[in-house]
Amino acid sequence: MTGAELLGAMVVILGGAVPGTWMLRRAWSLKAGKAPWRWAGLTLLSFSILWPAWLLGEARGPFIAVTLLSVAAFGVIASGYTLRPAKASRAAREGLAPEPAERAPSVWRTTLRWSLAGPIGMVAAVALGVSYAVWAPGEPQTRLLIGGLIVPVAWGGAMAWTLADSRILRATAVLVGTAIAGFGAAMLRGFA
Amino acid sequence: MTKMKKRAGFPSPDLVRAVLKGHSGLGLAFAAILYLVCLTGAIAVFANEFQRWENPGAERMETISANAVQAAYRTAMDRADGPVEHVLIVMPSEDRPWPTLRVDAEDGTRTTWIADSAGRITGEIREGWTKFLTRLHINLHLPQSWGIFIVGLAGVALLSSLISGLLAHPRIFRDAFHLRLGGSRRLQEADLHNRIGVWALPFHLTASLTGALLGLSTVIIGAIGFAVFNGDTDKVYAIFVAPHPAEDARPAPPLDLRSLFSKVAERTSAQTSKRIDYLIVEHPMEQGAAALFEVEDGSSRLASADSYAFDRTGKLYYEHKAADNNVGQQILGSLGLLHFGWFGGGAIRIAYGLLGIGLAYLAAGGVNIWLARRRDKGQPAPGLERVWAATVWGQPLALTCAALAALFTSSVALLIWTWAAVSIALLGATALLPPAMLSRVGRAGTGLLLITVAAAHLVVMGTGDSVTLIVDGALGMIGLGLLATFGSQISVFRRTLKAA
Repeated sequence: MTGAELLGAMVVILGGAVPGTWMLRRAWSLKAGKAPWRWAGLTLLSFSILWPAWLLGEARGPFIAVTLLSVAAFGVIASGYTLRPAKASRAAREGLAPEPAERAPSVWRTTLRWSLAGPIGMVAAVALGVSYAVWAPGEPQTRLLIGGLIVPVAWGGAMAWTLADSRILRATAVLVGTAIAGFGAAMLRGFA
Repeated sequence: MTKMKKRAGFPSPDLVRAVLKGHSGLGLAFAAILYLVCLTGAIAVFANEFQRWENPGAERMETISANAVQAAYRTAMDRADGPVEHVLIVMPSEDRPWPTLRVDAEDGTRTTWIADSAGRITGEIREGWTKFLTRLHINLHLPQSWGIFIVGLAGVALLSSLISGLLAHPRIFRDAFHLRLGGSRRLQEADLHNRIGVWALPFHLTASLTGALLGLSTVIIGAIGFAVFNGDTDKVYAIFVAPHPAEDARPAPPLDLRSLFSKVAERTSAQTSKRIDYLIVEHPMEQGAAALFEVEDGSSRLASADSYAFDRTGKLYYEHKAADNNVGQQILGSLGLLHFGWFGGGAIRIAYGLLGIGLAYLAAGGVNIWLARRRDKGQPAPGLERVWAATVWGQPLALTCAALAALFTSSVALLIWTWAAVSIALLGATALLPPAMLSRVGRAGTGLLLITVAAAHLVVMGTGDSVTLIVDGALGMIGLGLLATFGSQISVFRRTLKAA
């Protein structure tokens, strides 16, 4: 595909993404009769992500489309900005996120919490990824790569969970158990 | 009449508050490193353009003949001080239209040369700025394994923040299109933070997941090696890379590449739009010499490189076609492209640059929200406000100073010192200046220096390549934009003073 053809395809993708996002914004701003706009917008956006797979490559096309879709969405959002008076109003606070939970300060709980989010979470996530690579069916490269992708996702999930969950001993038991079971299962079988 | 107890929807207010606590803590712990990694990543998307910017005088070409490559390779080898371990020859491409030859000597030294279309070495490549920038993004200029791990850890923290950010955002649909500027600082920052976070989520997930996997690969491979290969990580690498030729260290004349180019051409004659991407010559002065060719097959696949490896006799001992890639090999071949936005030409690189700046803003804005919340609660943290303003505006200034220094030196070490000195100076200025002034100094300084870099580059390096003009123009425009925001801030400040 030449540069001009690629650029043309991108213009068509943007041609679907901008009105698609605009329709979603229209649905969002209406008090009644949202559904047609919402469905039209979602359909147009889905189509704008899917058709490039056929023209630009089954992986390359959708990745190009979602990248352009994000940029198009920002354009639509930025075009509808509202400028508020300099003084903060009480009403403005309604749009704010709730206050984070307050926890009684405790050194050992804080240390354990961050240990779970950090090294213990990492060991548990690696154990999960390694045991997937060892036990899952398929080609060795596929198992290793998917096992590798599991590691940051599982570690990130463990971080989000342990830093939020107040039942910290439960989290400790789950992560330590996962690490032991994961590495144990991997060592038991070996890589085939 | 029975009274139905209304169940709280998902996520419950308690869950939102608990997750928000974790999101806030994690964001604060990693904010500075995430900001730096995302900012440098957004700029590093244009690494190829910056390499051209640093070498505007290099002769541009679409292809180079095998004879010319052979001549350049022999000259580059002759210039090496001792025995040569490997030679990496990167062929001209649309993004970087000249060939380079990197010679890795046995004593660990590495020299990269640029050649012209006749195969003459025209000089050592200038890549101080590009190397400084990309290494800052990849390993923060720390010892390689530690630096890469820390950046990978930051990728995991970002991924975790995206998960917790979504869970902690109960108004995700209700606020989907709100962008309320002015008025409450906290609301403005929250709107920007949430809109950027949600609408660019596919990009954020792609960049953080691929970055985290690349950063943690050593740990993961080490763990697999430990768990199932008795600690032998080479066995894990061997699953992915082409096999090495049989070891034979007896001395021999340099490996002749011309016949190998012909063999590659024979094997790929059916492919109309093939292109040799690069080749690696291993132990060129030994009997056990070998050459591995990576050839783009011209398909629309992300991982589209065929591999051909030949030994000294010209025997093909390894061949792998991209069309035969399994899922794992496709993912592996796509990771770098997806992480840096090198899969859809200039438009996607620009989109990645903008979205990368958005990601850096997520890190910066998160801390701004936390500081504004403290101020709203009557517990301001003026010291932290200053440090954060110095960090956010100090980094663009420090990076621009390093770019300016790169016009006069190729030494990466000098650029690191320049960047570090400016970063520390801005942090030191927190003892004297309030956050608003630090922001103004950083903004105006970056704007002025960007314009200076663009102008100085034209004078010092010349205008041999059209891409360098585009880069200089973009730098100048960004500089003017920053100066314009600085100017508008000053006029608002004056009007406020007058009104008072």
